Amino acid sequence: MIAPQRLCVKFYFEELSVDVDTFIPVFHRWIREDVVSNEMLLDVADYKHILDGPAIFLIGHEADYVVDFTDGKPGLLYVRKRDAGPSLSDALGTTLTQALNGVKLAENDVELAGKLKLRTDGATIVLLDRLSYPNASSNGDGVSSAADAAQAQLAENLTALFGSDATLTRVANDEREPLTFELNAPSAPNVDTLLSQLESVN
Amino acid sequence: MSNIGWKDVLSDDMPVELAHEIDIFEGQMELMGQGKLDEKVFAETRLRRGVYGQRYDNGQRHDGFESRELAFEELERFKGPDTLWHAPGMQRIKVPSGGLTPKQLDVLAQVADEYSDGILHITTRQDIQLHFVHIEDTPDMMRRLASVGITTREACGNSVRNVTCCHLAGVCRTEAFDATPYSNAFADFLLGHDDVQDFGRKFKPAFSGCESEACGLVMMHDLGYLAQIQEVDGKPKRGFKVFVGGGLGTVPHQAKVLSEFTPEEEILPQAQAVSRVFARLGEKRNRNRARIKFLVAKVGIEEFRRLVEEERKTLPHDDRWTAYLDTLPHYEEKPTRPPTFLNGQVGSSEFNQWFETNVYSQRQDGYSVVTVNLPLGDLTSKQTWELADVARKYVGDNVRSTVEQNIVLRWVSDSDLPNLYEELKAIGLGDAGAGTIVDITACPGTDTCKLGIASSRGLAGELRTRLTVKSASLPDAIKDLKIKISGCFNSCGQHHVSDIGFFGNSRRSGNFKMPHFQVVLGGMWRENAGSYGLAVGAVPSKTVPEVVDVITNRYVEERSKGETFQEWIGRIGKKEARSMIQPFMKLPDFEQQPEFFSDWGDPRVFSLGDIGIGECAGEVVSLFSMEISPAESEAFEAQVALDENDPARADAMAYSSMVKAARALVRTQFLDVGDSPDRIVEEFKSRFFDTELFFDQYAKGKFGQYLLDRHNNPNPNPDNDSAHRLIEEALLFIEATHVCESKVGGNVLIEI
Repeated sequence: MIAPQRLCVKFYFEELSVDVDTFIPVFHRWIREDVVSNEMLLDVADYKHILDGPAIFLIGHEADYVVDFTDGKPGLLYVRKRDAGPSLSDALGTTLTQALNGVKLAENDVELAGKLKLRTDGATIVLLDRLSYPNASSNGDGVSSAADAAQAQLAENLTALFGSDATLTRVANDEREPLTFELNAPSAPNVDTLLSQLESVN
Repeated sequence: MSNIGWKDVLSDDMPVELAHEIDIFEGQMELMGQGKLDEKVFAETRLRRGVYGQRYDNGQRHDGFESRELAFEELERFKGPDTLWHAPGMQRIKVPSGGLTPKQLDVLAQVADEYSDGILHITTRQDIQLHFVHIEDTPDMMRRLASVGITTREACGNSVRNVTCCHLAGVCRTEAFDATPYSNAFADFLLGHDDVQDFGRKFKPAFSGCESEACGLVMMHDLGYLAQIQEVDGKPKRGFKVFVGGGLGTVPHQAKVLSEFTPEEEILPQAQAVSRVFARLGEKRNRNRARIKFLVAKVGIEEFRRLVEEERKTLPHDDRWTAYLDTLPHYEEKPTRPPTFLNGQVGSSEFNQWFETNVYSQRQDGYSVVTVNLPLGDLTSKQTWELADVARKYVGDNVRSTVEQNIVLRWVSDSDLPNLYEELKAIGLGDAGAGTIVDITACPGTDTCKLGIASSRGLAGELRTRLTVKSASLPDAIKDLKIKISGCFNSCGQHHVSDIGFFGNSRRSGNFKMPHFQVVLGGMWRENAGSYGLAVGAVPSKTVPEVVDVITNRYVEERSKGETFQEWIGRIGKKEARSMIQPFMKLPDFEQQPEFFSDWGDPRVFSLGDIGIGECAGEVVSLFSMEISPAESEAFEAQVALDENDPARADAMAYSSMVKAARALVRTQFLDVGDSPDRIVEEFKSRFFDTELFFDQYAKGKFGQYLLDRHNNPNPNPDNDSAHRLIEEALLFIEATHVCESKVGGNVLIEI
């Protein structure tokens, strides 16, 4: 299965006790110190005036990091825009690795440490590609749709990483919205373990 | 999966012509990639498809300490001069008359989240802009937009830009008639027309239904149409009062009347004639004087009118001039629901507050227009399709964008208002305060614009937050004031036509630059942008919220009954107006208040490139700083003279201020220049103008030329208009001397 145009993963905050403005100087410093390997960071965009939406963007060439409050669920959203690899599995590996790296950077940042914690026992995964992965409802003729196939592939990859009890549920959102899945992983390992597992897979 | 692309999937949904144009553009991208197309030609080509540059696309970014190279791949590959192929850009999407349908909103939302940062931004010309878009995604984006009847053609470049129209047209209580079908016919007729392909600069048209409201802002447009009904042979006849040569930009011009009444069947051929005259006689080499306003000012409105009339006689007949008139009797908007009435229903206090500011009662009984107040003109993809669903339910296709960066839902049946409010609130779009002091307009500024000097959006966000907190307790007198902010002198935030306007610039304090905003007071939004405000002085960006408080408090205290802000500013005079902000004009040292040296929402130190080495900050000031100050005072005196209706003195003072500023600059290199204006101008020209040291990166020699033009061709009989323009030019010239001095680095210091 080919990589989607864009692949996103959002990990949720278990704790967030800093004002969202705090991320602006932090992200500028990340750019200046070039803290993300294999990605070029470009700029910071402030959209905190939008209610219940993306608040602060760290815009990059390959990916964006977003402090996101959509649906009242604060989290760190990673949007992989390019060079994620040729296949859906490759793209998932790249996206998860970089997203978790972003989680680690945020949790250990000198200005954020102790003030935020992200959980790994759940995440939202979005395939932003309505051409290859339309969010169409099942046609009921028994033929596997791109959405079903993607779900099967992602579930296989994710259970290998997050534990055999991990489940991936398709979100019943509107067809205009992108294909979206919720990961529930009650026995998910911590960030470092996940990263080392991803490294060994890659 | 297969190799099927959007081109194949949408082949039956796209108009053939649009599909073909996009294929051609894709081919040009390919040629550019192969090095077979000239860089400048491709740049204009992509601009005419709305594919615009964005900040840092030259591959350089200042990180607060130093300018660093952004390591895009293929650094040798460009999409225009100094514009890297792989750097993200902006996509402007034309929305003629601001008209949008739910289906179009759905697709706009989808392309925004797949190709940009997922934010749709409404502009001050009813367009939609997406940012951080990669050029290689643009053909497919255009195809998806084309499939719902949207084109990006001629959204940028030297072309006829989006045709704007009052968002209330058709439902307005004071309009002569609905200008919308005329505006749409105009847009269709001139889109891609042969006679609009050879302009020296962009060309912005606007339509308005009535004279007294803001509506289409026709007075600040290249070509403006004001609906009129005249009696001809005892019968009412539709037509337009036509204005030409208006514009904001660096030096604002009020439009002149081209025709008191152009009958409806003549507006398209007349526009074609105007286009031909502009293409033939408009400036082509110097883009700073290439807008039609300069041509009108140069030849005079009478001669321009004669040229247009002569041109009109030569035009070969075109059936399209009048074909659309046959459809007018059938033109109507269909409400989704029957008219109903609120009948005194009691709403929550929140609803009542929203109702007071965001609901306009239509001329058609039982219907209202609801303004969706978008903070800074932004909405997310998710909000966009949620809004599309709200529109489907309540108003169908009757959605429009506005020049105040909002969206309106028209034909809301009145009894639906409470439910509609709740549904908007549920998707984060229920903010009250539309059209009031909290509904601040701002251009993109330093967030994404290559020309931005200061953070207009950062400032707008800060002011919006502060004013919203106290909005309930704001005195009525100031609730409806307009605040508009531009990130630079180019006026995209329309600061000239607001009560309180700001445009970004910078000043030096010690060895550091500090973001500033020029304060522009007393512009008029009503009467189609009836008059422009004048700059009264520049204040540090971080003081602006306090400056707004001081100005508005003073207005509340001193205004007489019914006196508008503009009338009050006129009464107290610009000198007194300046005195209000004077206490804020003193610049602190970096060590005292470092926060003044970064902009709103951007913690980077503002331009560290100007840090000198070895200077003893705080104990010395440059000779330039000492000498530029009198030049600024003189420019201000020129404004006072204009207020006193003394254009000759205003003209002389404005000129003198430019000479003084030039002298201050020359003396950074040549102390003995003396006081003779001839000598000063000669030295300025040879040292700074001819060497291009004075040139702005984008405006080039424009600001220096202002001094040279006035020096070589003094106006023997200046009137208020010409003096006003010269003052604006003097202010820009002085700004440019600051920039030049910072760039070149003054080396003459004196002790104080």
